[in-house]
Amino acid sequence: MTAYVIRRLWQMIPTLAGVILLIFFLFNFVGGDPAQVLAGKISNPEQIANIRKQLGVDEPYYVQLWVFVKQVFSFDFGRSWSTNEEVSRILLTRVGPTLTIMVPVLMIETVLAVVFAIMVAYVRGSLTDRAIMIICTTAMSISFLVYIIVFQWLFGFVLGWFPVQGWSESFWKNLTTYAPLPIMLAIFVGLAPQLRLYRSFFLEEINQDYVRTARAKGVPEKSVMMKHVLRNAMIPILTNIGIYLPGLFVGSFLLEVFFSIPGLGREIITAVNRSDFPVIKAVTVYLAMLTMIINLLVDVMYKFVDPRVSFK
Amino acid sequence: MNSQRFFVSLLTCAVLALGSASATVAAAEKKVLRFAFRTAETGFDPARIDDRYSVGVCENIYEGLLTYDYLARPVKLVPLTAEAIPEPEENGTRYTFRIRPGIYFADDPAFKGVKRELVAKDIEYSIKRFRDPKNRSQYEWLFENKLVGLDELTEKAKKSGAFDYEARVEGLEVRGKYTISFKLKEPDYNFLYVLAMPNVVPVAREVIEMYGGDTHAHPVGTGPYVLKEWTRRSKIVLEKNPTYRGHVLETKYADPADEWDQRAIEALKGKTLPAIDRVEIYPIEDEQPRFLAFLNKEHDIMDETPFSFIHQVLPNGKLAPNLAKEGVRVFREQQPELTYDVFNTRDTIGTKENPKDNPVGGYTPEKVALRRAMVLAHDRGREIEIVRKGQAIPAQSPVGPGVVGYDPNFRATAQDYDPSKAKALLDMFGYVDKDGDGWRDLPDGKPLVIQYKYNAGSQETRQLAALWNKSMADVGIRLEAVAVQFADLLKDRKVGNYMFSGTAWIADYPDAQNFLQLLYGPNGGQSNDSFFKLPEYDRLYDKAASLPDSPERNAIYREMNRLVLAYAPWRLGVHRLFNHLQYPWVKGYKKHPILYTNFKYLDLDVAAQQVAMK
Repeated sequence: MTAYVIRRLWQMIPTLAGVILLIFFLFNFVGGDPAQVLAGKISNPEQIANIRKQLGVDEPYYVQLWVFVKQVFSFDFGRSWSTNEEVSRILLTRVGPTLTIMVPVLMIETVLAVVFAIMVAYVRGSLTDRAIMIICTTAMSISFLVYIIVFQWLFGFVLGWFPVQGWSESFWKNLTTYAPLPIMLAIFVGLAPQLRLYRSFFLEEINQDYVRTARAKGVPEKSVMMKHVLRNAMIPILTNIGIYLPGLFVGSFLLEVFFSIPGLGREIITAVNRSDFPVIKAVTVYLAMLTMIINLLVDVMYKFVDPRVSFK
Repeated sequence: MNSQRFFVSLLTCAVLALGSASATVAAAEKKVLRFAFRTAETGFDPARIDDRYSVGVCENIYEGLLTYDYLARPVKLVPLTAEAIPEPEENGTRYTFRIRPGIYFADDPAFKGVKRELVAKDIEYSIKRFRDPKNRSQYEWLFENKLVGLDELTEKAKKSGAFDYEARVEGLEVRGKYTISFKLKEPDYNFLYVLAMPNVVPVAREVIEMYGGDTHAHPVGTGPYVLKEWTRRSKIVLEKNPTYRGHVLETKYADPADEWDQRAIEALKGKTLPAIDRVEIYPIEDEQPRFLAFLNKEHDIMDETPFSFIHQVLPNGKLAPNLAKEGVRVFREQQPELTYDVFNTRDTIGTKENPKDNPVGGYTPEKVALRRAMVLAHDRGREIEIVRKGQAIPAQSPVGPGVVGYDPNFRATAQDYDPSKAKALLDMFGYVDKDGDGWRDLPDGKPLVIQYKYNAGSQETRQLAALWNKSMADVGIRLEAVAVQFADLLKDRKVGNYMFSGTAWIADYPDAQNFLQLLYGPNGGQSNDSFFKLPEYDRLYDKAASLPDSPERNAIYREMNRLVLAYAPWRLGVHRLFNHLQYPWVKGYKKHPILYTNFKYLDLDVAAQQVAMK
């Protein structure tokens, strides 16, 4: 396994190089001129040139690329062009609120989706199964924005169960007061597609020969579902969670904007609007690294879930 | 336990309980004002910000030489840290200020435990900061080509890479501890307005040098509040500055017929301000949570009611019964601002290497006729009704309302919606459909296609683009609306790579000049995005700039307005109306047209606030 992990880590280098080049190309050719935004209402070409010089965007491309590479490997992207705040500080302070929302969402949503999916897969074809599938399809066809507006109005304003928006310095207060409504919303929206997907994973396993064999041998149905079907369906489920995981750190821009959560999603969109490249570059590069590492971890976990998997 | 120890313990408990009870009462009585910004702040270094939300916070932390009276309308300059407003000397080229002694900066570790008094050198240092290229100040233009010797210092800094703050500048003459004299290159009767801008305030050099790269997070001024907490883009907390000297409400310019003035006077009479102990500001970009937070009484004030909720707040122009029942009051404000569409008046657009003909550019009769026809064909009534939800009035001149030089009686009939007149004008100058495709062509027979660039990231600009499309199609003009990223749109406008685009301007200082400079020829590519260059207009502008506010100057402004209507470099848009709501426990409220915040003039009825929140 060690050799496999080392090989995978080695393979990450060209991938990361590709990501760096892609980001650099996109920002330099399609990203707009940040100096125009930073110059203010009244500016002249000389001031804009001064800003460009200070930001280093007037340097030749190879110099800018070298600076970018150095930033990636030193984990220091300098300061935000719009607020002058250290990029590392921005990321560190914004990731907490995002994770406060997204970690419970991932955990609760996964558990609920797996439990409900295995239940409906067990009663596949029944009225309950069909009713749940119809509800899921309907729920999936409504925009996230509509859910946010309705939930915020209903649970925050009309019923007054939760604050309409807000965030505090206290983790506990956030988790118990401000986070529940956004968490509930995200779960409500994310549950339907997850449930449908996991149901299909379970159905695929239920139709396999080994399940028929187990049943023919008289293995109780509960054992068939929990020991055989669930275990084998865990590999695609893990893959799906692996895909979902990097998004955990980016959060949901809509949730963060509507509930005034000072998270990373809101920060990224603000950075894009202000052409704040150091922030965008840092987030993109770290996210790419995170995605690669999570993919590796998920691949390693396959082995623990299913011993038949071998590292090649 | 013996009786003596028991008695001592009992006494201790009683004292502690009493102390805790009085602390609870004190905490309960603390006046906390809660409020939302509709856009996130940038930071609080006054020389490095230009967004009104960051500036609004700075208004409470820093104090300039001058400010505006809270109640006076039209706005009136009053001294703040200066002893008096100076008279112009040397034909309007010199202004000498004396700072009031005994004004101190808020305590900060940068002062090493010593009380730090505000002195003239702080003003000198702070103004130099605007011209230090390192600071990239968005308000650098305020001091550009203005003070004798300052431009030269900036030029030196550009070459050497370091700004010499010790260098003597003739235009910034410190005459003793409390006196500073400004020497201008040209007469400028608006210079005093510059010194009243919330950005142009003294900062202490020690503070700036101590916090270096993070000056946004360490604002230290002489004002009524200090920054207590700051979670960027989430929460800003201001608390009373313990070293602040206090102020009282000036009432001599109040209007006896104005109910807001009278209510403020009644609420604040005899009080030393600020009365609010703590201000909590929450930047909430989205409209629904901002609106619901106010309805939920999580906030005490809602500035600028979102247009999307205007029919719920003001159905048929009157405050909704549910809000009226709560005692909510609405302050309707016309800000000194203007929306407008800019025609690029240059003959060509694009790069020097690849220039393209610009159908809306030029000053020949047929080019002017095309612009005027487009203006006449645009349905401003629908813009106000649909896009602005009725919360706007049509602009009649290129000057925003409420500023010195604004003429409320000036009427721009050349901008009234009249599609028949537009069609007649187009026909008369040869813009007819020559190839039979249903669209008008240029007089020489080439296709007429006008490109309208707009900000892709705004719903409002998308709606405005759709309205332009429809208005032009109604008179047979083919319009191509192109959505562009905001940064690219700014750049395109600055370099003139566009035909036609929409924008807005809010007054930096309350004089018509701040609007009229947007069409001054030498400002092309700086603030004159239209690249309008009319010798007659420029001559009048120069003449007006050398005059103080007077009937003579107003006559010049009227003439300039007429030239703008005649040559149509702009389609005048609207002056938006803003509705500010506040609960009845907020006392002393009045919105100022130039100052963004009014915390330091407000008071709260805490008991009423707490009852309502239960």
